[in-house]
Amino acid sequence: MAAGPDAVRDETVEVWDGRLRLHVKVAGDGPPLLFFHPLPGLAWGPLLGRLARRHTVYAPEHPGTSPGDPQAIREVQTYWELLLIYTELAGQLGLGSERPVAIGQSFGGMVAADLAASFPRLFSALVLLAPLGLWRDDAPIPLMEMVSGPPSDVPKYLYAHPGSDAAQAAQALPADPAQQAKAIAQATWNVGCTTKFAWPIADHGLGRRLHRVQVPTLIVWGREDALVPVGYAEEFGRRIAGSRVEVLDDCGHVVQADQPERSWTAISGFLAGEA
Amino acid sequence: MKVSLFEQVPYRYMPEGFENQHNSVVTAPYQVVEPARMTESLFSAYAELMGGARAGFDGICVTEHSQSSYDISPNPTLLASAVACAARAEHLDVAITVLGRSLGKTREPLKIAEEYALLDCVSGGRLIAGFPVGLSYDANLNASLPAVETRERYREHRELILKAWSEPLPFPWNGRFEKYGQVNIWPRPVQQPHPPIWIPGTGSPGTLRDILSQDYVFVYLSWDGPKLTGRQVFDRYWELADELGRDRNPYRLAFLQVVAVSETDERAEREYARHLEAHYRSGLGAIPHTAMAVPGYAEPAAIEGMLRSTGPAGMLSRMKTATYAEIVDSQVAIVGSPATVADQIEAFVREFRIGNLLVMLQNGSMPRDLTEKNISLFTEEVLPRLRPVWDAEGWENHWWPRDAAIEGAV
Repeated sequence: MAAGPDAVRDETVEVWDGRLRLHVKVAGDGPPLLFFHPLPGLAWGPLLGRLARRHTVYAPEHPGTSPGDPQAIREVQTYWELLLIYTELAGQLGLGSERPVAIGQSFGGMVAADLAASFPRLFSALVLLAPLGLWRDDAPIPLMEMVSGPPSDVPKYLYAHPGSDAAQAAQALPADPAQQAKAIAQATWNVGCTTKFAWPIADHGLGRRLHRVQVPTLIVWGREDALVPVGYAEEFGRRIAGSRVEVLDDCGHVVQADQPERSWTAISGFLAGEA
Repeated sequence: MKVSLFEQVPYRYMPEGFENQHNSVVTAPYQVVEPARMTESLFSAYAELMGGARAGFDGICVTEHSQSSYDISPNPTLLASAVACAARAEHLDVAITVLGRSLGKTREPLKIAEEYALLDCVSGGRLIAGFPVGLSYDANLNASLPAVETRERYREHRELILKAWSEPLPFPWNGRFEKYGQVNIWPRPVQQPHPPIWIPGTGSPGTLRDILSQDYVFVYLSWDGPKLTGRQVFDRYWELADELGRDRNPYRLAFLQVVAVSETDERAEREYARHLEAHYRSGLGAIPHTAMAVPGYAEPAAIEGMLRSTGPAGMLSRMKTATYAEIVDSQVAIVGSPATVADQIEAFVREFRIGNLLVMLQNGSMPRDLTEKNISLFTEEVLPRLRPVWDAEGWENHWWPRDAAIEGAV
């Protein structure tokens, strides 16, 4: 665990009675932190690098999204199984005695929130970055439209500033045609693997369980979020007793891309106080 | 050779330029429809299929698509059932091919088992049962099922339907997607253990292997014509047949071809060109390509293969702006005098060893009288040349409704 914050290593952890080998990116030192990635899969970006300066960051890859193991998604038949698998992972990582902080983004935010609601003693604190998981008829979430629409439209759902370096980096593809085809195929499949549990509407009844979340919780949202409208920030905040809601102006769905400093201030301040 | 009339059910009055503003599926705005013209469009399809049965086609063939303007056929067994009953009342011996109810899309697979069985009974054992997976936009957007599960659902549903048809006693089904306490459907197909099974596909190696292993028929609904992609797919199919120890019986293969016949080549162009262009532009051409493969529908290796393919590109990507010249040069549609059409069809049928030909004679805005002309010219002057193509090789068609099943049924 003593490697520097910038050294990211890949660990595989066997779970689910040996049927799954989950890949987990690990970096940093300090109290444990679990990061649950959004729909397109895990990308190790500046936010995780910053977190690794204070924490041991564990970032599992959703089953099926690890290169070379696409069929792993078949071993997770239901959303309930997905949650159970993550509790097994936490146990295998030795996070039973020292409860980790959980941070989840978008799809991963739904997973983290549901783990916290379903297993109230699993985490020590919870950070939700514009999580999926609820549905209001007056605020539809255009997940299906984004996923099945042209790839060129995706940034308009995710970013208030699609031209920012962070947004551009997230969309970048290798120049070599063979590598590019591989990258597109992997990215497309990743979305297929995550949306398996978010399709067509990412509502597994989380709203009826959120009252069970007992740990300090921070909810961060971009006011201009075009995927999960900002009204959901208040929905989560209302259902999780004692939670704190931070709404960032001039900010879309991927808060750390549109507002890297202000989102970091909110997250790091919360973690310094709670973790 | 068996030749069937394949018909889609388009709204025939799509506004000019529709494709520049809208998609033809999922979100196609119903406001463009005039109710009287919708009833006419739908009834014409029924009437033309009956006309085809009377004119001497060996079979009629329909497909399923929901929330679509180019094929308004949310349940093709409804359409097939009307034709089956009317054809039987007129003592017409015509196969009823449903291509089919989509097994990867359905939430009620036993309903398909029941409908097909009923259709087999009322037609006097003339059903050909199509078992398609279903297009991605239909299964994953219209029916909103997770794309990554589409093929798993397909496999379970096919197994369940086959068992429901052939298992003599009630049985429980504890599937991954479906659970039933007692499966005991009424009726069962007249053709036992099951009607001939045809599987439409785009020619992926996995699908072809499955079809040949199970001894079913591969139906290539390419829309690209035989020239552009046929070579790759059919060669692969017959090579795989060799590898799996299956014979090269041409009746293992069915192919869909769009055809338009008139007295002369010039007249054919005059009569059909604008309807063909409208069909491709506002219909197939207005399906967004992302809706054909919602993430999860195709495996990563398949996506990579498609992106890296250096083979001849199909017409599908260019259909939104297709011109008559492109359509005809690529043989996406075969158009002309009876001799022109028969020559072109006979050549590719022999080359690719196609035993079951499906011809689509109505397209897009084509009105009923012109479609009926197409049907008569085709059946009178083209069909007689195609029927004996495989006679000399003496193959038996094991994938056609069996005479024994329908003895005494008409």
